Amino acid sequence: MAGQPDASKPKPRAVAPRGTKKAAPAGAAGDTQHGNRALAEEGAAVAQQPVDGADEMRRQKAPLSSSAKDEFAAMLEPFYYGKALSDPIDTARDKWNLLPAFLKVKGLVKQHLDSYNHFVDVDLKKILAANRYVRSDLDPKFLLEYKDIRVLAPNRAEEDTNSSGHSKSTVTPNECRLRDMTYAAPIVVDIVYTRGSSRVRRNNVQIGRMPVMLKSNKCVLAGKNDREMALLEECPLDPGGYFITRGQEKVILVQEQLNKNRVIVESAKGIMQASVTSSTSERKTKTYVIQKKGLMYLRHNTLSEEIPIVIVMKALGVLSDEEIMVLICGDDAEYQDKFTVNFEACMQAKIFTQQAALEHVGHRVRLTKKFGRARNYHLEAIECLANVVLPHVAVEGTNFRTKALYIALMARRVIMAEVNPKLVDDRDYVGNKRLELSGQMLSLLFEDHFKRFNHDFKLNIDKVLKKQNRAQEFDAFSHIGALKNHITLGIERAIATGNWSLKRFKMDRAGVTHVLSRLSYIAALGMMTRISSQFEKTRKVSGPRALQPSQFGMLCTSDTPEGEACGLVKNLALMTHITTEDDEDPVRKMVFLLGAEDITMQTGDEIHREGLYSVCLNGTPIALTSTPKSFLVNFRKLRRMGRISEFTSIYINHDFCEVHIATDEGRICRPLIIVENGRSKVTARYLKALRKGTMEFEDFLTRGLVEYLDCNEENDTNIAIKEKDIGQYTTHLEIEPFTILGAVAGLIPYPHHNQSPRNTYQCAMGKQAIGAIAYNQFTRIDTLLYLMVYPQQPMVKTRTIELTKYDKLPAGQNATVAVMSYSGYDIEDALVLNKASCDRGFGRCQVLKKSVVPLKTYANGTSDGIDDKAAMQPKNLADPKYGAIGKDGIAQVGARVSQGEAYLMKSVPADTTASARGNVQMKTQEMRYKLPDPSYIDKVCITENEAGTSLIKLLLRQTRRPELGDKFSSRHGQKGVCGLIVAQEDMPFNDQGICPDIIMNPHGFPSRMTVGKMKELHSGKAGVLRGTLEYGTCFGGSEVLDMADVLVQHGFSYTGKDYLTSGITGEALQFYVFFGPIYYQKLKHMVQDKMHSRSRGPRAILTRQPTEGRARDGGLRLGEMERDCLIAYGASQLLLERLMISSDAHHVDVCGRCGQMGASGWCRICESERAVRRITMPYAAKLLIQELGAMNVKVTIGLEDEFRSAEYDYEA
Amino acid sequence: MSGYTTSGAQQPSTGAAADASTIDIHSRAVSYTCGDCDGDVQLKRGEPIRCRNCGHRVLYKKRTNRMVQFEAR
Repeated sequence: MAGQPDASKPKPRAVAPRGTKKAAPAGAAGDTQHGNRALAEEGAAVAQQPVDGADEMRRQKAPLSSSAKDEFAAMLEPFYYGKALSDPIDTARDKWNLLPAFLKVKGLVKQHLDSYNHFVDVDLKKILAANRYVRSDLDPKFLLEYKDIRVLAPNRAEEDTNSSGHSKSTVTPNECRLRDMTYAAPIVVDIVYTRGSSRVRRNNVQIGRMPVMLKSNKCVLAGKNDREMALLEECPLDPGGYFITRGQEKVILVQEQLNKNRVIVESAKGIMQASVTSSTSERKTKTYVIQKKGLMYLRHNTLSEEIPIVIVMKALGVLSDEEIMVLICGDDAEYQDKFTVNFEACMQAKIFTQQAALEHVGHRVRLTKKFGRARNYHLEAIECLANVVLPHVAVEGTNFRTKALYIALMARRVIMAEVNPKLVDDRDYVGNKRLELSGQMLSLLFEDHFKRFNHDFKLNIDKVLKKQNRAQEFDAFSHIGALKNHITLGIERAIATGNWSLKRFKMDRAGVTHVLSRLSYIAALGMMTRISSQFEKTRKVSGPRALQPSQFGMLCTSDTPEGEACGLVKNLALMTHITTEDDEDPVRKMVFLLGAEDITMQTGDEIHREGLYSVCLNGTPIALTSTPKSFLVNFRKLRRMGRISEFTSIYINHDFCEVHIATDEGRICRPLIIVENGRSKVTARYLKALRKGTMEFEDFLTRGLVEYLDCNEENDTNIAIKEKDIGQYTTHLEIEPFTILGAVAGLIPYPHHNQSPRNTYQCAMGKQAIGAIAYNQFTRIDTLLYLMVYPQQPMVKTRTIELTKYDKLPAGQNATVAVMSYSGYDIEDALVLNKASCDRGFGRCQVLKKSVVPLKTYANGTSDGIDDKAAMQPKNLADPKYGAIGKDGIAQVGARVSQGEAYLMKSVPADTTASARGNVQMKTQEMRYKLPDPSYIDKVCITENEAGTSLIKLLLRQTRRPELGDKFSSRHGQKGVCGLIVAQEDMPFNDQGICPDIIMNPHGFPSRMTVGKMKELHSGKAGVLRGTLEYGTCFGGSEVLDMADVLVQHGFSYTGKDYLTSGITGEALQFYVFFGPIYYQKLKHMVQDKMHSRSRGPRAILTRQPTEGRARDGGLRLGEMERDCLIAYGASQLLLERLMISSDAHHVDVCGRCGQMGASGWCRICESERAVRRITMPYAAKLLIQELGAMNVKVTIGLEDEFRSAEYDYEA
Repeated sequence: MSGYTTSGAQQPSTGAAADASTIDIHSRAVSYTCGDCDGDVQLKRGEPIRCRNCGHRVLYKKRTNRMVQFEAR
């Protein structure tokens, strides 16, 4: 959170932004300087070509080397995509310039980085402060105190011990990837502890290693420009926000949860209940106030039964019935009638004093520990009510007023919802949700491990102190080093496996982290914005999956998977920001300064009086105001002035007469332009300053031109989408409407013209497209990497494409498409490809596969090695199987390997048991290439991991041209396989001799209703003719009429249709063909990886049936449904063949008399060979019989003659 | 360059392999390229994987000098 002071500081907001500004001039000066130069250049360009400016200016400026400062420089340069400084600014159209400015500050994955930075800089210190003392049970004088905690710069694990900050580590994330290391930094603490009789201070004591998030402020990549990034072999476009553990890139996905510390009213099975999940650093509990059969109770896990609400109120010190009544119902007669019955329950229990009420509660407190002595019910009740029930409502001393008010509030909510069912809360409303980010997840994990560390540390100390006579003076410092692996390994394991198991919060979550998908750049980006929900996938409720209106602008409306996770996995929209925690205290002070009165001083009568609104801070009522509107306005003014954090939200809830202020973490919010008196506060002047580089997004915030609104506050606003829509009551203006889509859906041109599911399909497919992955793609050695050989940026772009820089790492090519029928090989969405196009490189891709061989060391001291002699032996020299092997026993770089050829000669010890020591015989094991299609050795990397194991990583490369059955898709959810590859001679062509690259069947259009695709073709064609890139931005983009004009100007039909000549007959086609460029993606599903057949082959050992799957050369299964068909048809012999003879036929000797299986024609049970017959049955059936036998279930086989004769009679 | 000292952490790693006995004097040295400084690294069988110049531990094998024929289509 740039420009925001530490939470520990008492928020001098007016000063803080200035601090950031001070840092700015250096950069700003550079910008302006650069700007001037660029301006001069543009001037010269204009002089050369006086007119025709509009077209000329569309040309994009490549970022100059000096502007390598940051990646958004191009967009913030004086030519803002064809707009020069001198161009008139039209606020209505140019306000979108705020968007790159926003992303420059926030970035696409800023949520992750912010959260991690907050954790490392703030949360870590808070956790330390909460666990700062380590004492010993045995020596009361011993005290260890943690003074400070820091995370240092990342380094290698081996550098921890010898150098403590002497020299800077040269570790890079890419080295960690290549060497299978964990990218982590040491966590150090400053301690003061007792040694003998003196207090000793030690600084920079390492207690473990913290995995570092890439591009966070601890990472070596932080603040690096493009050139420095290149030196570190890192891609400047890489979003960061992930970890590298054991060489794997791991993302902690954003988790969606119901908000904490807020009252939620629900009705389930006719029971109305108000529940609160309280979450504090110590405890996480859930408290309910429920209405059952007209009576109201308090329910909590630690209370063995539900307690009538009146008793709870009395226990909390609200003694008179009248006061209880007024606190809950106010003077509303209807509520009072509903509530009156509750007093009877209290009367019946004969509870009239606080003492009696506490006794009553105390009797029902569940005990965690069994105490021998008599229980003190009274104290237990106080303890329970103070700390266990609603722990987030702080209780000072024994003043339970706040808690009583809170429970009264919950009860009131229940009654109100009973009377008016509309007041039941919606769980799926985005304002009721919180997003949990990596920082929070890590903070839970670290706290748990740190507590365990302290516990183990204390045990170690106690163990030493227990000894009476020690040889030397006890130094606690020596014990810290022994334990630091616990924290390191604990955190590393959690991130590497994704299993978060914390006993303290009873949390046991699997699948928290995922491997970052590197199929394409957009797949990686899409993963960083993904949100997973905690809801079970199996539940049949549609609520959580449905699109919520409150999602607008916060979560992408299109990007969600199909199938079981549909609607549960969401994606962030482009402008979304997720808040981190802000300090409550300054806000609380501000509330009272604004004239609100402390709520604990008020009687119930006052709280619920007409026109009085209570002010809630993070859901807990703290004050009362009689002028809510002006309070709200003043508070917002202060926020816009920067006196309060910009992420604080305030809104009025008129149903409950409450003003809510939120400062908590995980709220979703987005920036909007402020409108006052019917005018947008962002005027041309400011946009000019932004363009010039004298203002940044931060300045827009501090000047009160733009503000962040969360979902709840959005409900208080009247947002105009366009500047011309601003009316009398408008409060805000949208920065750009296309930001309702996320990064992935933003790739689609003209998505507002498509049927919505098509956009969703494209969101799934965009992630499978083969393209460029990163600038460092050739230095990476990934398990599987797909690269396109000649990727192109799309002819029809969107603003989002520019913002995500998809145009720099594209995944697709602009294919000239003819929408017409051709041959019969284009049915069912199949495409006809031009052979010459494929020869020229259309759809050509490279597949890089990794093969790692670790040289293991075994328990007996032997270890694997490489056998460099085996391939050189005379008998092997001529063998082509070893042709690729070099003189070091590893395949030569550049060599071709085909199926069965060896690429590595490994020597393995013959005996690895612990007993075998000394000189162990080594045997040679060759690693063979298994795939049917040959590969080339692209790279051989020899390295060593952190544990010291040698790793040999081979990268195998295949270059693939499109073939029949490869999958392609446009950007409109229109996928199809290649059905035919036709020679260019046979392709249709137009007057200019242009042949299509792809022929697509027109039947793809009517039912799919992808009008956007047609518009893409139309705009793309105009762009090609005019030499410009066109825009297909959502709710905007190039207009059809303009494009039609361009087409006509260049002598084409305005419709985009062309006259074509058949390449086969040479005749004119009898129709005009819709003809032009469409951006096509090649998807990762390729025939070569799927093609499979088998006649005979391997069988599974247990069942002797053919194996399953292509990887094991498996058989093709005749499944149940196919079997059903054959049964229905009556093809019994075919069934017999498929299910037994061709599968697992087995001959068994069965005794007809006892029905048991014998062997070699002899029945052991009958001790005869008389009735034994040899039959054929499936081996699986024989196995079943024997397995049943093992479970004491006897199976007898009855034999019967097919053609019965009197000759055999088994019964005899 | 920082960590280029024979540290304790390195010892167990190469322990078994780097023993004088296991380094094969008869085997010829193969030349590799350092991933950091691009320098030439002559390695024999069993030697620790490390650039002698800069201490980097990622080495790449050099391209073969045998002829490689590609089918261009």
